[in-house]
Amino acid sequence: MIPDAFEPWLLLLFAGILPTLIWRMGGVVLGRSIAESSPVFDWVRFVAATLLAGVVAKLLFDPSGALATVPAYGRFGGIAAALAAFFLSGRRAIAGIVAGQAVLLASYFIGR
Amino acid sequence: MHGVSPAQLTTFRAVLKGVRDALSLPAPMVAAGLLGVGPLAHAVGHPLGVAVASTLFIWAGPGQIIFFGGIAAGLSPLGIALAVGLSAVRFLPMTISMLPLIRRPGQSLGELLYLSHFVTVTIWSEGLRRLPPLHPSNRVPYYIGFGHTCVVLSGFATGVGYLMTGSAPQALAAALLFLSPLFFTVSIAAGIRRVADVAAIAAGFFLQPLASRLIGPELDLLAVGLIGGTAAFMLDRARNSA
Repeated sequence: MIPDAFEPWLLLLFAGILPTLIWRMGGVVLGRSIAESSPVFDWVRFVAATLLAGVVAKLLFDPSGALATVPAYGRFGGIAAALAAFFLSGRRAIAGIVAGQAVLLASYFIGR
Repeated sequence: MHGVSPAQLTTFRAVLKGVRDALSLPAPMVAAGLLGVGPLAHAVGHPLGVAVASTLFIWAGPGQIIFFGGIAAGLSPLGIALAVGLSAVRFLPMTISMLPLIRRPGQSLGELLYLSHFVTVTIWSEGLRRLPPLHPSNRVPYYIGFGHTCVVLSGFATGVGYLMTGSAPQALAAALLFLSPLFFTVSIAAGIRRVADVAAIAAGFFLQPLASRLIGPELDLLAVGLIGGTAAFMLDRARNSA
């Protein structure tokens, strides 16, 4: 099906932008009524950190597009290498990124 | 750093510092990750403008991947909206935890809603680390400089990625898509301050595949976040009171 001129824009608005927007706006509306010293802030921070780790797991276990052509050991090994390099380099983000990509690309060329 | 009161910059200098810090690594990294979204939009026959607008207005890599991936898979518009919406649930707690840092006296609701649009994994984790040491009056200007730099550079990158579709080797395309999880991982690791942080991260990572199987690929993240996050929170309270 070839989309007509407006269809992609309507789809973007209603199925992409709005479903994302509501959570940020909801956070503002809910968060404004909570005192800054409240332990609720601490709690949501932990929930967010957990969700974040969950998103990483989702992207690794269920990869999309070109990432799916890389062996699983390359994806998981890349993350492990990134963590190791990050901490061994004295918490340098770039060291983690480079190490992770090196392992990923190595696994791509070595293959299964 | 603790105990030393931070120097106050002019608003202009605070914005500039935000721009500069964003360009130092986070913005190029996010932009490179969103470069990978361009070809996904191209593949489903959407125009360049939609690809760029998805970065500017959805402003969430995984959500955009799910959006264009859902179209490619032939999901109904409602199905796409559901999948995108559930992948964005993380923004609710992230925005709430970001609020104390981007609130300022006399601020309108509109300004706060606008500022909340920039909240992403990167800006949240970088913000929690970079904003507290700043003078309170410099935080919003810094955040505005930082946020706009990330969004504008990424929008540009998505456009470039769209136009470059098919001309990049498969290995490069895979590496670009790997940037999101990689940068998420490093950002999470950089935010570790307490034992309970490690517990939260481990819970999220290891419970997710389990939850995906038990609960399904839609509500899994929500369940993992609530259960793991609450457990980590309780662990933290127990350790602090001990």
